Amino acid sequence: MKDLIKAFSHNKAALGGLLFLVVIAIAAVAAPLIYPHSPWQMVGAPFQPPLSGPHLFGTDMLGRDIAAGILYGARVSFLIGIVSTAVALSIGITVGALAGYLGGLVDDALMRVTEFFQTIPSLIFAIVIVAIMSPSILSIVIAIAIVSWPPVARLVRAEFMSLRHREFVEASRVLGVPGWRIMAFDILPNAMAPVIVTASLMVATAILMESGLSFLGLGDPNLISWGYQIGAARTMIRTAWWMSFFPGVAIIITVLCLNLVGEGLNDALNPRIVRRRKA
Amino acid sequence: MSLVTRLQQLALVAAIGSMSIPAFADEPVRGGTLRMIAQPEPPTLMLGLNQQGPTQFVAGKIYEGLLRYDQELQPMPGLARDWSVSDDGLEYTFHLQEGVLWHDGEPFTSADVVFTMEEFLSEVHPRARGVLAHVEEIEAPDEHTVIFRLKAPFAAFIQSFEVSSAPMIPAHLYQGTDFRDNPANETPIGTGPFKLERWEQGSYIRLTRNEDYWKEGKPYLDGILFNIVPDAASRAVAFETGRVDVLRGGDIEYFDVARLEQMPDVEVTTEGWEFLSPTIWMQFNLRNEPLDDPRFRQAIWHAVNRDFIVDSIWSGYGKVAKGPVNSASPFFDDSLPDVEYDPERAIELLDEMGLEPNRRGVRATIRFLALPYTETYIRMGEYIRQQLQQVGIELDVTQTDVGGWAQTLGQWDYDMTINLLFQYGDPALGIQRAYVSSNLVKGSPSANVSGLDDPAIDELLTRAATESDPEERFRLYSEFQHEIVDNAYFGYLIEAHFPTVYRNNVRNLVNSAIGLNDNMAEVWIER
Amino acid sequence: MDRLNFIAGRLVKGALIVLAIAIMNFFIVRLAPGDPVSVLAGQSGAMDQDYMDELRQRFGLDQPLIVQLWIYLQNLFQGDLGTSYRQGRAVLSVILERLPATLLLTISAAIISVILGVVAGSLAARRRGTWWDTLISSLALLFYATPLFWIGLMAILLFSLVLGWFPAFGMVSPEKEYTGIMHILDVLHHLVLPMTVLGLFYMAVYARLTRASMLEVSEMDFVRTARAKGLPEGYITRRHILRNALLPVITFAGIQAGHLIGGTVLVETVFGWPGVGRLAFDSLLQRDYSVLLGIFLITSIMVVIANIITDVVYTFVDPRIEVKQ
Repeated sequence: MKDLIKAFSHNKAALGGLLFLVVIAIAAVAAPLIYPHSPWQMVGAPFQPPLSGPHLFGTDMLGRDIAAGILYGARVSFLIGIVSTAVALSIGITVGALAGYLGGLVDDALMRVTEFFQTIPSLIFAIVIVAIMSPSILSIVIAIAIVSWPPVARLVRAEFMSLRHREFVEASRVLGVPGWRIMAFDILPNAMAPVIVTASLMVATAILMESGLSFLGLGDPNLISWGYQIGAARTMIRTAWWMSFFPGVAIIITVLCLNLVGEGLNDALNPRIVRRRKA
Repeated sequence: MSLVTRLQQLALVAAIGSMSIPAFADEPVRGGTLRMIAQPEPPTLMLGLNQQGPTQFVAGKIYEGLLRYDQELQPMPGLARDWSVSDDGLEYTFHLQEGVLWHDGEPFTSADVVFTMEEFLSEVHPRARGVLAHVEEIEAPDEHTVIFRLKAPFAAFIQSFEVSSAPMIPAHLYQGTDFRDNPANETPIGTGPFKLERWEQGSYIRLTRNEDYWKEGKPYLDGILFNIVPDAASRAVAFETGRVDVLRGGDIEYFDVARLEQMPDVEVTTEGWEFLSPTIWMQFNLRNEPLDDPRFRQAIWHAVNRDFIVDSIWSGYGKVAKGPVNSASPFFDDSLPDVEYDPERAIELLDEMGLEPNRRGVRATIRFLALPYTETYIRMGEYIRQQLQQVGIELDVTQTDVGGWAQTLGQWDYDMTINLLFQYGDPALGIQRAYVSSNLVKGSPSANVSGLDDPAIDELLTRAATESDPEERFRLYSEFQHEIVDNAYFGYLIEAHFPTVYRNNVRNLVNSAIGLNDNMAEVWIER
Repeated sequence: MDRLNFIAGRLVKGALIVLAIAIMNFFIVRLAPGDPVSVLAGQSGAMDQDYMDELRQRFGLDQPLIVQLWIYLQNLFQGDLGTSYRQGRAVLSVILERLPATLLLTISAAIISVILGVVAGSLAARRRGTWWDTLISSLALLFYATPLFWIGLMAILLFSLVLGWFPAFGMVSPEKEYTGIMHILDVLHHLVLPMTVLGLFYMAVYARLTRASMLEVSEMDFVRTARAKGLPEGYITRRHILRNALLPVITFAGIQAGHLIGGTVLVETVFGWPGVGRLAFDSLLQRDYSVLLGIFLITSIMVVIANIITDVVYTFVDPRIEVKQ
């Protein structure tokens, strides 16, 4: 673990990304302190450009503060990104572990299902799921999780296949430890490194996908989000560019930082690259 | 625009003082293509089978009805050159224009009218079915005369022949066929001044002049081009950059209208919606608590600043609606009380009901089904939610697509929604259906979905529909309006005045109660 | 011969996946709340219950689901994807009308992103550590994190509205009534922005992949051997490194086919491009199930085909791959 932190902190870009993410997260949590009113409330004249008066990023067509929307939107983006990744991870790990550990017919069947889900164009699939369940935070999380678990399953399966015949696994088996315990406590911890890397990238992808859904009008109507802000501002791009510009920048920065962190983790966890770095 | 033409126009302006004064330039000229936008893309151009807004707009140039209506909703000749109504109000006689040809060259006769009404529309046209239920029999004594005999007097009957209400359909192509599967649906054949030339799905629809149109020398235009542009900002750009000449209400955001109006040679009119007279209202589900209490509904009225909706969300393109009948209708009663914006009063009413705020300041939570038509409606929903929150009413918003909205409404599975009601001329045609208890049927979003079941209202509306004396009808409708507003059965928000933005070299654009949906035979472009 | 067997095996597998997708799509979309009849009723002004029942019967919506599925599959085998409720026309022809526009957009975006991505990636790898590398890597990181629709909007704002270089929407200028070569140029003029926007993300992906994989390959034993033999560096890059480094790029291109098609929903919506992606979104809003089903099926088939092509190309490029079922 110490080595990991050391290797990670060696990577300046990744460290910077992490710091930035922490700052955004704190701002998101503190949003009600910075902007005590609801982000939906009209607080000024409509269409105020950035830096005019008290509104850092200007106001929208009803005089709502864009910056307030971005801070409250960060909560939605993080929430959806993290929860949907967690759900996708649990599906993917379960499927991958069963397929990799049991092998044979189970493996075949599970991998066909995985391939099947990988073939469907993911955004179109997510759109349909959300539209059919009617847009809400729940349906968005489900949709994103359903389209993003297959790569996890494949990854975990590969790890399990290579680990299942190792001595420490065989030893547990001889001792009569039940299969699920072996999977959960012997193999899984050893297979987690690549999963963690993938997870950080999945959060980024989930945030991008949520913004795409909200942009198309499929966001949770009770919550403000970055994609919603851009979608609602789209017809006003000529009159008020700032309405769509700043939420977009917020998405880019967040996703960029997550990607940097993911790469940092990858480098830190992947011994081959670490070796090369040292060389 | 080149500098030279610009200077010429300035010179012209100088010469005649003002562009609005009719001058020598008002002699119609032939030629030119009028470029507009169809949005969303119509599903089909077979007007008899589909009457959605964009279909009416495009197909209204291809098909025609027996009558047209002026901006006071009085009938004008269409395919019928004149008409008469018997004294007992039971017999309507129409004399048809002569020498009218379908686009494929076949003559249009009274047999087509009988087929259209008796067989075609009565099978496939939801609104016409309701009207035709009043008809006892249809008779065609000769090629150019049609007589309708009604079961009982129905004053709104004369308002039922507008092109989208009763488009004339060619019997020689449809009689004895399966109307919805007829291959002719893809190549619509009407009697109108324009024919379909080409429809490039997703890109454009091009209509071309009907050289054999029955009105001598008409139409003036060589053709009409409908661009399909799915995004409001792009539609505004298309107008600014001169790719289109006309924008319909709803094509662009309302605040953009004000911006485009500042451009030189651009004019804006809100005329041409008299027939549809759209009223936007908050529809409540009166079966559910606490909406069954009139005080709660009044509180909602008082909490919403309707002037703000008109001025800020609709950029002034509308006026505050006072009640169920649109103020453009001759049956509108101006003596209805004004309901003031008064959040204090709203809180008083809620207190009176015993609805105390909880820790979060919420007195009641109701489900709000958002209407997803355009950004403007979504903004309106957001505004109303914010306003109601301030008096302690929390809205739990369901945002869905048009399909989900219609379904949920039809299943009565909502507490409150925003809806758009078209008047279709007479109140008996467009308004009655949403208020009478006989229409309390599940499944259709355009039935009485709110659960309003008031014998007094049923009685008033039924009597008004069958009464032939206009003064007595006015009295009955007036009583109806007061009854609805006094009980705050629904919350009326705004009468939309959809703006048409156009370049002022386009002449005679709006000259009837259906505005741009009309056939445009008289439209010409000044050069 | 082995290769033929391999391809045949992939085709069978692809067909099975398509069948499974057909069945699943049918259920998902048919179980949704809000049937097409209520949409028609909602927009027609008035409609009574009898008439709605009549319509449901007509569209087969009153049959048990399993019967509807069986009818659907039977028709599918005959190339009949049903009738669009909204347009009253055959679904297949509705989609086929829109397909060329989408193919033009996706294929040109795919080609441009592979070419530019590989070129940029190998440039960065060969000049590792220079400002070329820094520039390319940073841009790739940036575009990798940018939402398609946002960059589309910004591109419209800058290149259409402010600079006026490219049209803001659509695929043609119908008012000009162009024909022949002018028509083609007009389409290309409209294509530039959406193609670039759709391609940018994948360009970034390919650049990153190519760079990483070239760096990895260049340290492998056979490359060291080639260097030890004294072969010229340019020759080594072309013959050994690039060829091997392209393998992950090809794999990824196959996997991404589905994403690319999904991306067209956003890009076509932003640019008003008259393709299948926009049709999918329009149909969804109108609950035009049969069109949606058709789009799902056809885009999935496209992905399956793309994957098969990838696998086959792979067998040609990779000398080490085992060709067996």
